[in-house]
Amino acid sequence: MTAPFYIALRFATHRKRALLLSLVGVVFGVGIFICTQAQTQGFAQFFINSTIGSNGALIVRSRFQPRYEGLVIPTKNVSALPARRNYFEGIHNVSEIMRVSRQFSNVVACSPVLRGNVSARSGFETTNVELFGIDPPSHLRTTDLAKQIIDGKFDDFVNNTSAVIIGYRLAEQLEVGCGDSIQLLSPGGEYWRFVVAAIARSGVGTIDSTRVYAQTRVAQRLLKKPYEASMIIYKLRDPYRAPALATHFETLFQHLSQSWQEREESTLQLFIMLRLSVAVTVSLMILLAGFGIFNVLTMSVLSKVREIAILRSMGYRRIDISAIFLWQGALIATVGSLIGCILGGLLTWIVSKVPIHIRGLLYTNHFLVVWDWRHYLGATVLAVVAVFIASYVPARRAAQLQPVDTLRGSSL
Amino acid sequence: MKGDISLCCRDLERYLGEAEERVHALRGVSLDVETGSLHAVVGPSGCGKSTLLYILGLLDVPDAGSVEIGSTLVAGLRDEELARRRNQLIGFIFQFHFLMEEFTAQENVMIPMRRLGQLSEEEMGERAANLLEAVDLGDKLRRQSRHLSGGEQQRVAIARALANDPQVILADEPTGNLDTNNSQRAFELLANIVREREKALLLVTHNRFIADSCDWVHEMQDGRIIASHPHGERISV
Repeated sequence: MTAPFYIALRFATHRKRALLLSLVGVVFGVGIFICTQAQTQGFAQFFINSTIGSNGALIVRSRFQPRYEGLVIPTKNVSALPARRNYFEGIHNVSEIMRVSRQFSNVVACSPVLRGNVSARSGFETTNVELFGIDPPSHLRTTDLAKQIIDGKFDDFVNNTSAVIIGYRLAEQLEVGCGDSIQLLSPGGEYWRFVVAAIARSGVGTIDSTRVYAQTRVAQRLLKKPYEASMIIYKLRDPYRAPALATHFETLFQHLSQSWQEREESTLQLFIMLRLSVAVTVSLMILLAGFGIFNVLTMSVLSKVREIAILRSMGYRRIDISAIFLWQGALIATVGSLIGCILGGLLTWIVSKVPIHIRGLLYTNHFLVVWDWRHYLGATVLAVVAVFIASYVPARRAAQLQPVDTLRGSSL
Repeated sequence: MKGDISLCCRDLERYLGEAEERVHALRGVSLDVETGSLHAVVGPSGCGKSTLLYILGLLDVPDAGSVEIGSTLVAGLRDEELARRRNQLIGFIFQFHFLMEEFTAQENVMIPMRRLGQLSEEEMGERAANLLEAVDLGDKLRRQSRHLSGGEQQRVAIARALANDPQVILADEPTGNLDTNNSQRAFELLANIVREREKALLLVTHNRFIADSCDWVHEMQDGRIIASHPHGERISV
């Protein structure tokens, strides 16, 4: 144990009340930081998991016409605006694209989907819905649809071509349950009758209130499409590498490819803003705690002026004197962060048990939290930086004290 | 070895304060302190006694002149090196003991040893206990310093000044805050240690009895040593 650390330990523990006050600030700052981050990220992560679980991590859509820009001779004095892409609706070489896609290590599974908007009717209720024509076996491998079913059986859907699966909020809106029938209006103007085989809940409001799943061939007939897929959805091993893969697929297949990050950009930005806003607010708490520590250590320096002078007379260097006060800060930061992390974990656990009723953007009956070691690291780093800054100024001031001035003032 | 010069200064000049308030605190002070000898500096308040002591103790830097401890010139050394020399070669005793109230008597004596960093925790504890034994505080090792009497606290300060076995002991009115009995006891203790362990002692005092008991008495006035008397000669102050 170095001499400055030993003295710092004794100084800090001697002033128990001041130490406790400083610790309380850091402990609560760190604890609340962890809890709020776990909570805000919990909602964001739930949304991400739900949207990937329903719509895949990556989507390949319509084919576009290559522009062959390298062949175009640039014209002088004309502002060269990039030409718009020409898209061709639908995917005609589904099997080939899926076969090539499966060669990529990040691709776990992929599934074709025929998507179209139709009108749904049940009794007197009518609403616009998004029809997903799916191939049940491959769709199950690619999405979490089987896990999302809250009523009815997936097998009833597979075994009956006139069966559909609908979102739970849509079911509430149309006032239908399993076994009831709904009618879908085809572009040709005739209503088709379907039986509700199952009701699914993805947790994402926009999906649950509009989604209807039917079998591909039925959907193709109803939508009167010449192709059997308007998009291919992908399940990836690492969804966070989806943007790179999307860029690669776009070049490779000459089809529009979209990662979930691009698809859900606006919602994700909302979550990021929310997280940042909460982080800034809680960081202010930690900075406030740092200000408290600054006061405590400044008072400590002022009350230890004579001790500092005598330590200097005994051969302690300026760096030793500043180390004494920096060690006190380090002690507060270490103990405070440690207890703060425990408190943060405890608060996160308690918050995760708090019941809430959210039925908007997301569906949840309790607070959603994420257990992430990075929250603990972030809070600790923040606390250490704040405490270091708070300790540095008093420590520097202590080191700069002239022992002669103090000794002269005391002895004459 | 007795008779060798432990501490020596030549032509010290020191100005204190700024601009119009500037004071010429030391005006060409020269002094030799031999090993095993006791030197007293006397003089009226503000004559430069403490300034001289702090310069000799490497806590302050002269504007001109030189200081030697042992045979080493200490002028122009960096702050870090000066601190190291203070820790190894000099022991300070002040009028106010300046003990750390958070520490016991023994822990206070161990503080300079911790900085030196040459002894283990046990060795430091043992050495501190021996030093406190030498100043008759062997039974109060573990007592908090704030629970000791004024005389006892000053004796702890004496033991602390001896912690790293320094060559030179500098004392700034070490008995100024004690009653007559405690003053005499503290001084006798200090004098015995200096003579037995062959240290050099330079003390600033207003106490006539203590000054008379030293081997040399240096009279200061207006920043100068105006007279130096060996033991037994009458002091004019």
